[in-house]
Amino acid sequence: MSAPRSAYVHIPFCHRRCFYCDFAVVPLGDQAGGGGGPGSASIDSYLEQLHAEIALSPQGPPLATVYIGGGTPSLLTSEQIHALLKRLCRQFGVQAGAEITLEMDPASFDQHDLQALIAAGINRVSLGGQSFDDGVLESLGRRHRSDALMQCCRWIAQACHEGELRSWSLDLIRNLPNQTLEGWCEQLEQALAVEAPHLSIYDLQVEPGTVFAWRQQRGELPLPDDDLAADLMASTSQRLRRAGFCRYEISNYARPGHASRHNRVYWSGAGWWGFGLGATSAPWGERLARPRTREAYGVWLTDQHQAVHRSLQRQSAAALPLDDRLLVGLRRHEGVHLFDQARACGWDERSCNRHLPALERRWTKALQQRLLLQEGGRWRLSDPEGMALSNQVLVELMCWWESLPADVVRTPSP
Amino acid sequence: MTDAPVSRIRNFCIIAHIDHGKSTLADRLLQDTGTVANRDMQEQFLDNMDLERERGITIKLQAARMNYKAADGEEYVLNLIDTPGHVDFSYEVSRSLQACEGALLVVDASQGVEAQTLANVYLALENDLEIIPVLNKIDLPGADPDRIKEEIEAIIGLDCSNAIPCSAKTGMGVPEILQAVVDRVPPPADTVKEPTKALIFDSYYDPYRGVIVYFRVMSGSISRKDKVLLMASKKTYELDEIGIMAPDQKKMDELHAGEVGYLAASIKAVADARVGDTITLVNEPADAPLPGYTEAKPMVFCGLFPTEADQYPDLRDALDKLQLSDAALKYEPETSSAMGFGFRCGFLGLLHMEIVQERLEREYDLDLIVTAPSVIYKVNMIDGSENMVDNPATLPDPQKRESIEEPYVRMEIYTPNDFNGALMGLCQERRGDYLDMKYITTDRVTLIYELPLAEVVTDFFDQMKTRTQGYASMEYHLIGYRKNQLVRLDVLINGERADALTTIVHQDKAYNVGKALVEKLKELIPRQQFKIPIQASIGSRIIASTSISAIRKDVLAKCYGGDISRKKKLLKKQAKGKKRMKAMGKVDVPQEAFMAVLKLNQTP
Repeated sequence: MSAPRSAYVHIPFCHRRCFYCDFAVVPLGDQAGGGGGPGSASIDSYLEQLHAEIALSPQGPPLATVYIGGGTPSLLTSEQIHALLKRLCRQFGVQAGAEITLEMDPASFDQHDLQALIAAGINRVSLGGQSFDDGVLESLGRRHRSDALMQCCRWIAQACHEGELRSWSLDLIRNLPNQTLEGWCEQLEQALAVEAPHLSIYDLQVEPGTVFAWRQQRGELPLPDDDLAADLMASTSQRLRRAGFCRYEISNYARPGHASRHNRVYWSGAGWWGFGLGATSAPWGERLARPRTREAYGVWLTDQHQAVHRSLQRQSAAALPLDDRLLVGLRRHEGVHLFDQARACGWDERSCNRHLPALERRWTKALQQRLLLQEGGRWRLSDPEGMALSNQVLVELMCWWESLPADVVRTPSP
Repeated sequence: MTDAPVSRIRNFCIIAHIDHGKSTLADRLLQDTGTVANRDMQEQFLDNMDLERERGITIKLQAARMNYKAADGEEYVLNLIDTPGHVDFSYEVSRSLQACEGALLVVDASQGVEAQTLANVYLALENDLEIIPVLNKIDLPGADPDRIKEEIEAIIGLDCSNAIPCSAKTGMGVPEILQAVVDRVPPPADTVKEPTKALIFDSYYDPYRGVIVYFRVMSGSISRKDKVLLMASKKTYELDEIGIMAPDQKKMDELHAGEVGYLAASIKAVADARVGDTITLVNEPADAPLPGYTEAKPMVFCGLFPTEADQYPDLRDALDKLQLSDAALKYEPETSSAMGFGFRCGFLGLLHMEIVQERLEREYDLDLIVTAPSVIYKVNMIDGSENMVDNPATLPDPQKRESIEEPYVRMEIYTPNDFNGALMGLCQERRGDYLDMKYITTDRVTLIYELPLAEVVTDFFDQMKTRTQGYASMEYHLIGYRKNQLVRLDVLINGERADALTTIVHQDKAYNVGKALVEKLKELIPRQQFKIPIQASIGSRIIASTSISAIRKDVLAKCYGGDISRKKKLLKKQAKGKKRMKAMGKVDVPQEAFMAVLKLNQTP
């Protein structure tokens, strides 16, 4: 497996925790900011750790994609972002034409900040809009409102139009309490109106320990029923297709040329670097999740100084195991080529011929039901039916995987 | 090992209700006599099977020989014969009681006597055993030994003036118990000179040595060189070894009247050396066997099907092997139109059924579907013939049958009287005929009912426990067959008859059962990619129907680098559930659905 060409950097700070969020975040309060405001000391000390972690990483070939996510990375100043990019550049190099994405929260920047971030090296923005409905935004615990979101979209679209940004994406949350089909379609129209060339649309997941989980326990979270949820998903797919978007992954839609290169890395089975608390890396096929709290991350980092984790150290190693590759690969529009994927995992012809047909047999039912489509050796989920029921296909995959002899399942050495 | 003159042997067992501390006390006796060194002590030594230890109950009895120096300075041999604590195995209990001269009646000093204990005490009294009352858990705050003594005296009529207070947990009272066994349990009759008779009270299958038989020599003696005859199975064997359980097996040359031991003789299956059979010598055989031998008769039946058809030969092999160690297990091939090939199996009771199922899955790594338990019906045909039906799906059509009879049991429920009403309601719902209610103490009663066995093998026990906060206990035995207005209730899934879900119910309950059953199935069968009609019918008449709507969305919204592991866990859980499903036509049906008929009352 070749060296990773992608890096994820996690900035955990937020003004406050949204009601649905269970990510590794550190809320700093509404007034916080990276430029000397409240919480800036905390940010400074974290950035020190982050720089140290990157510097500990083995050097590698230049990066093709960088993704600074969070949390709310736009809480950082452009200088801080610039310093991080410089650090990555020193450690790995950054390829000419690399995709450099920053996640931004509409309540945390103005047009001037945006310009400064672009000057610092950002060329793609992922905007956490979530909704154009003020009532919904309030019920999600977001700080921004629809007006601010539209304003941000205009600034970003303009920067994109003028060639300062290469592309941008808008996040929306779907399947929210009290949502109707009409209400959702209205949201979609607004998203199209602001001309975002990329949309990430996630159904609400009620995670344990969140405000939403608590509301749900008390019976105060009237989510759409399964049928409506399926209709919302199907109508999204249809409307966006008509608007010229490709559903290149189960929850991601892009106009031609605007698919996120960084995200595609996760679904391709290739490796990536990851830095920061709570971040997961998989540079050489083995995933490594970092601790989710400041304190534990600090301790972990100290240990790294003594001995760099073996998953980070190896210069060449096995790819992701086949079940993972298929699991993430099937999320893509183009699906997976079974035999190619198996070979990429180091399976020899004999293993392929002996074991892959059993998986194909398990998938026959889904094929008949047109959840799966087969073209040559390539299998992909139909849109919208197959993508809506992808777990049914993946469960068969898991059943198959569990039935394999141990020596086949074990990640083969290169 | 001490040589044991008959006068210094004491054979005894422990009678106790589940949880009243039998196994803990047994462990303590082994420790205090130095039979098992403390460091070798596994919790609950006598319960050998993993299953038993997990469930905290004794299923198969075991035995242990202890040497004990009594107050008179003499060495005594104490043989503790453990008894299974469940109604399914009452025959085994009766055989092990026959092997003893005394019994420790262990009663929880806060909870008092329970029905199962009572049944075994009566059995022990019938066998003329000396009974030593022991009040256990005396150290617990709720203990009320005086009240419990009164209760034992009132209920059983046993003198409790010298009942021994004890805490098996702390060891308090254990020396007193050992001394009491020596003082109060009579030695076995000295019948060493009589022809040899030994009672088999347990056996198990050892893959290397064949069946290991546990026996008590009732008269005469057996030596390692003897050739023996098993009087019921009429088989003869050369002995490979005999010995005692100390508690690990220890070879001996000879065992004489009064002693308890084991033998190995390359016996191929436990069915050849059944509990209750008499061992005698080929050269000088006894005239008659010991009394009381019967073959265990299965009372409860169910279908066992592999979830994947290609596991059928494995299931057959596993049952063959299991039968080597379980003489009560009966099975024959069954073919179901909905389920494919499987086996119809007979068990002593519900616990026995669960144990077999668990052993098949654990020890033989099989994925099984078990259908709801049924009893054996007697069908009187128009042509005058009689048809025994152990599978509801094969009940002959109404036009061919004259009447159906079903097995009845006499049930005794022992309960604090606060729960009378609740229990009478339960028995009424289960088509019980009230016989009697006896006040045993001022606040405890025995309810006596006659009930169809079919109503008992559903969730009767669970319901009894639920409705009495766990306080009631029960005991029953078969009393014969009775005619009733019974009908066959079929289930159709996606328009196809699911014969594995067929049940036989009373005509008056058929409509309600049908309605509840389809609703329960709707709850238990996961939604699939198409709408599934679920119907209940009697003959060709549909009496209840519902449908499961199609699933249209089942997807992980987000899946990036960090959360693949977590998402995979969810999928693996689903995959595990899928392994426990049986494809019936186009529909995947989970194991729980086959037990739906037992769970109709769970959400009232």
